[in-house]
Parts: sequence; structure tokens; C-alpha cells
Amino acid sequence: MKKLIVSIAAVAALSTAAFAGVQSQTGCGLGSQIIKADDTAVMLSLQATTNGTSGNQTFGITSGTSGCKKTKFVMNERAEEFVASNMDQLAKEIAMGHGESVDTLAELLAVEDKQEFASALQANYNSIYTSQNVEMADVLDNISAM
Amino acid sequence: MSRLVPLYSLTEGSTIFRLLLLLLIITSLYSNDYLTLAKEKKLSESRYWHILLHMPDNVSEIDDENFFLSPEGKFNADAELQATIKALVNEKTLDDNATGCRFPARRFWLEKELKMRDLPILECKEFNTLMKRVDPQSVSLIFPAGFIESPASMFGHTFLRIDSKYKSKMLSYAINYAADANNKTESGLVFAVKGLFGGYYGKYSLLPYYDKIKEYRDSEERDMWEYDLDLSPTELQQMLRHIWEIHDTYSWYYFFTENCSYNMLWLIEVARESIHTREYFNYQVIPPETIHAIVQEGIVTKRHYRPARRSKLLAYEKYLKENEVNDVFNLARNELSIKEYLENNASKQTKQYVLEASSEFIEYDFLAGKINQKLYRDRLHAILGARSSLGKGEEINIPQPDDPMQGHRATRVRFEGGVRNGEGIGFLGVRPANHDIKDSDVGFLRGTQIEFLDFLFSYGKEDDFNVEKATLISIVSLSPRGKFFQPFSWRLHTGWDREYLSDSTKFISNASGGFTWGNDLGYVYILADALFYTDRDLTLGLGGVTGFVLYEGRDFKTNFEATERIYDTGSDQTLFSASQHYRSSQNTALSLSYEYVEKYESNWNTVKFTFDYFF
Repeated sequence: MKKLIVSIAAVAALSTAAFAGVQSQTGCGLGSQIIKADDTAVMLSLQATTNGTSGNQTFGITSGTSGCKKTKFVMNERAEEFVASNMDQLAKEIAMGHGESVDTLAELLAVEDKQEFASALQANYNSIYTSQNVEMADVLDNISAM
Repeated sequence: MSRLVPLYSLTEGSTIFRLLLLLLIITSLYSNDYLTLAKEKKLSESRYWHILLHMPDNVSEIDDENFFLSPEGKFNADAELQATIKALVNEKTLDDNATGCRFPARRFWLEKELKMRDLPILECKEFNTLMKRVDPQSVSLIFPAGFIESPASMFGHTFLRIDSKYKSKMLSYAINYAADANNKTESGLVFAVKGLFGGYYGKYSLLPYYDKIKEYRDSEERDMWEYDLDLSPTELQQMLRHIWEIHDTYSWYYFFTENCSYNMLWLIEVARESIHTREYFNYQVIPPETIHAIVQEGIVTKRHYRPARRSKLLAYEKYLKENEVNDVFNLARNELSIKEYLENNASKQTKQYVLEASSEFIEYDFLAGKINQKLYRDRLHAILGARSSLGKGEEINIPQPDDPMQGHRATRVRFEGGVRNGEGIGFLGVRPANHDIKDSDVGFLRGTQIEFLDFLFSYGKEDDFNVEKATLISIVSLSPRGKFFQPFSWRLHTGWDREYLSDSTKFISNASGGFTWGNDLGYVYILADALFYTDRDLTLGLGGVTGFVLYEGRDFKTNFEATERIYDTGSDQTLFSASQHYRSSQNTALSLSYEYVEKYESNWNTVKFTFDYFF
């Protein structure tokens, strides 16, 4: 499975303590693509040379969804990538009924009325995020079945 | 069959060979013509060719030999130009490995400059895929501002975001330059030292902007500022061609000079030659300074503020009452049933905000490792289900802080005049970087300080010439404790000063920790301080520090601080300072201050007037 979120602006520290490191996560469900920084108080307070240092420098235009379950109805590579990478933020914004991620999804799915789309998603939250273990493919398929 | 076929008796099949031979001769003639023309036009001395090679003078900053077609390329712009022209004319392959596919920006520029109409047609699959996907239409310079608990992050980071035809900026791509360090295996100290002195390779990365949003807005809790640049799609295509040329090369990374922000300037200049941004920098490149440079070049059209998750939560905190804040935590930790909560008589808007804030704290608990992914999913799903049942609601209003571009510049010179114990005294100060808690906070995070090499010299009749202060490094984070966040406040300082009991300048190193409380009007702090002075022997000390900062509108602030110290020599000492500051313009400030320093003999009372100029 492709390691997506291993890149994180790590920071140099004036301490001799080793970095606990960035926890990379993989998966296509909630909590799988959140970026975790090493943010213990001591480390944060000692950060000294934080101008963009990264454990993994990737140069790629696709983040990839190869490890994810395939969608049944939606055939839209960019929408799949976007949802897989933003499951948590999208869930929050669908529940709130507005947000940049919801607008982005509307654009990717070529939905014209974004407001109506956002309201419809919110009203159907429980049939989109049907359980705590939904994956990207379920979310997209459930939206298209709406 | 004779092997030695005379030229005049060539068979039909060899006619093709002859034509090919002729073509080769013509081509090399062309190539020679182009070389001559390039020489006539002095292309190898042109500014743009030097930009393409990342050559500020005569040596390229790129250290990777694969970036050069001539073995002398790194040190010889002319040799590299000749090698490039020859290679473009005599391509050995027409696919991704062709010179024109590897160096599309060079080819594009030379084709135009030398009117090369007959270059071979190439099939650059990889590069074309990139161009099609990134689809450059506009570009923004992104600056993630500092995080208050980590003042060093004020030095920040900048990267470019290339926007496509999509309206949503989340679908744009971020081009980023960073040290390629393995932070899992190396200690922080090694990391810092190598970062400063060039022990890492710098590498470019291209990532979806939504990943950068997650990184800075959510994970690092930094507000993001987006500065749209006035560059056209045609100019950005050339930028992307150049990004392709350098994407797989390496250069040594230098934290102060050849860093992330500096390398973005090359990309901007590749897009439009007439922009001069690198000339603004001589010794160091502090990321926010690069934004000042592009603002001065007049290419910033619009600015956008993207608040950190923390900023959003602080907006919720302001809105919610004490018990409602408790509801946020109790719901996030499953100590209050959602069903029960929904039945209480709080307003719908309050419930919406409580649930929204709660969902973020579930994530904090997960990130902090307090709950596992299963619990995280269970709780988040339950909270969001409840939130979706409450309808759309008003989006919480997040107050926008002053744009970092309204802040003072990094380097400060200071002129002071006053009276110390009845005698006139003058001061002259210089500090290359960056901000202290007495400077105006417009465009900076309140309560943060980071100083590198702060020097202050004095001249008095009795005292003659003295070094009052020579700070090596000083970092302060006075982060107010609230209902949602209870950060620890701290200071680190090392350098020379004249605040010890004896009159001479002594080396001091100290570390303090404590608490800060505050609101929009200002903040108060109390810190415990451990220090040592080298006064013949090492003198250890313990101190208590208390102070406050008050804001009287945007341009005025008052600082007050009292310190009591006990040394292992048995002596104790009181220090006191008060100042009134006025921001007379973005880069000038006036202040009046009083300082009291207890001494072995006569205590020092200094009153002085200060003029600061930033540039």
C-alpha cells in the first residue's frame, strides 16, 4: 500500500533527543490519512530550524488509491483520490452542511448547485457514512446512489 | 559483391544513406550556425540563461552533475549553453530520455531566442502528463505563519501553489523545496547542525495542496497566508517546464541561505525574467522576507487567510460558556451521552458549535495516542451523525489577524539616548533577526520572540565604550492559557549582558518556564528562571519573573517586567523594566523606557528614548 502521508514538515531541534518521528498511516477509512506531527511539548518548544524539512520528498501527481476498495458506480479518478485523502475533513463538512471539501467534491462530480448538494449530503449523512468503518469507495458509491 | 563501393556507383538503397549523410552535415551546419548566433547574441552571458542554471554569478547552486550536459557546466555557463544547443539539435532519442524532454525550459527558451524551427519533434510522455495534470493557470506563494508554542516557526516556510482550471484550490499542486533529512534516525541536534551547514540535500516535491493544508493548518496549527501572484498561464508553463528540469536534481541545503524560500525565487524569475527577487538578499533568506520582496516587486494581486484549526477552535471558545466548553470535552471523551446532550435546552447554534468543536478534540485525542483508531472512528462517527441532524447553521466567524506583510522587516537598527545614574548615555544597536516581545506585534504572533545576534553598544562619559548586550539566541513563547488549550510558557536565552551584579559585561545562559494568561487587551505572565553567569567562576542563579503586556490600540503597547534573582554566592538581585512603545510606521518605532538593575555598588537607573528602524 502506498504510503501517502509520510511527508510532514518535521523540524530540527536544539535538543539531542531523537525524533519520535512522524507516524505514517495508510488506509482508506476514517483516521487513515490524518497527518500526525511529532508534537510533544518539549519538541515543539525546541524547534529551531523549521523551514521545511521533510522525511520524504515525493514528486508525484497522483496520490493513488491502489490500496483502496474499488468504487462500483463512480468512475472518477480525481474524485476517488480526493475522497480517499480527505475522508475525515469531508465527513466533518458533510455533517456541518458546508465547507471547502464539500465544494471541491461538487466540482469534481460536476454538480452545478453546490448549496443544494451540500444540504443533500448533510441530510443523508447517515446513508453516506453508513458506519464508522466506511471507506472511500462506499462514500462515493453512497453519494452517487443518493 | 565488392566491399569497396565507389561513391559514384551507389545503388538505390544507398541513396537513403547519402541523404542521411547530407542531412547530418546540414544539421551540424545548423548546429554550428546556432552556436555562432548564440555567441553573437551573447546568450551564455544573459540573465535568463543564468536563471535557468541557478547561477547567481558564475557557479551554479545546483550540485547534481545530471543537471549539466557539459562536464564543466556547473562553473561554465557558456560550455553548458554550447552542450545544450548541440544536444538539442542532435537528439539521440526522441522519447522521455531526449535532452529536450529532460530540459524543456531550456529548449523552449533557446528555440525562441535562436529561432530554431527545425528541432526534432519529441514525445515527452512523462512531462506532458505532468503539464496536463497540473494545468497551470495561476500561482500563489504560500506562507504558513508561526505556531505560538514554537516561535522558531516564525521563520516559517514558503512554497508555491500552482492552480489549475479547477475553482477549488484544494485541487491545486504545491511545489515545495526542503532538506531531505531522515528525522527518524537522526537526533535533533545533528539535524539542526546539518541543516545550518549544508549536510543535507535539498529536494523538490510536488504534492496535492490538500496534503499541505492537512500538514500546516491541522497538524502544525499554523495559519496559512496565500499571496496570489500576477503571472500568466504562459509564464507558468515555463515555470513548470523548469520545475521538471530540476525536480530530480539535488543541491546542498543551507538553512539560512539556499533554503526553501530562496529556491522559490528562482522559480518565479524563471516564469518572468523581469522580476528581480534574489537581489533583495545578501546573507540570509528569512521566509517572510521573500514575501516582502515579491510585494515590493508589485506582483501580489490578492491575499487570502486560511486559519489554523487552533484559530478556529479559539473562535468557538470565545463563543461558548464555561459549562459548554465542558460539554465539548465530555462529548469528545464519551463522558456525556450525545442523546442526553441533544435533549438539553441550549440553543441550536450552541449545540452545533459544541458538536463541531468536539469532533476536533476527538482527533486531538487520537493524534495524542489517547484513543486508538477504533475508538476514534466510533466517537467521530457518533458526533458527526448528531451534528448532521441539526441542519446547516452559521459558520463560526474567525477574526483575521493582521497580514504578516504589515509586520516590520527582520533587521533592526536601534538608536537610543538617555540618562544612567545622572550621566548622559547613548546606545547603538543592531539585530539581524527577527522580533522581540517589545516590538510591535502587528503581523506577528503576540507573545512570541526570536532573536539572533542582538548587539547593543553604549557610550557614556564616565563609562566610555561598552558592549551592553550581545545576544546569541533568545526565544520566547508566552502563550495564554485558555479553556481549550493550556500551553506552557517558556524562554531560552544565551549571550552576554550587563545585568549581573558587577558592572562588566558577562556571559549568561538561562531557561525559564511558567504560565501566561490573557485576552485581546494583553497578557500577564509568571515564570521561574534558572540561569548561570560566568563571573570569574560560574555563578548559578534562580529567579522569578513576572510581567505584563498591554495593548492600547493597534500602534501602542506597554511592557512591564520585574525579576528577583538569588545567586549561589548568597547575593540577591532585583531587576525591573517598563516601556511604552509606539509604532510610528510599519518599519519605524519610538519608545520610552525605564530600567533598574541592582548592582554590588551603586544600582543602575536608566531612562532612555529609543528609535528603531527595520529593513
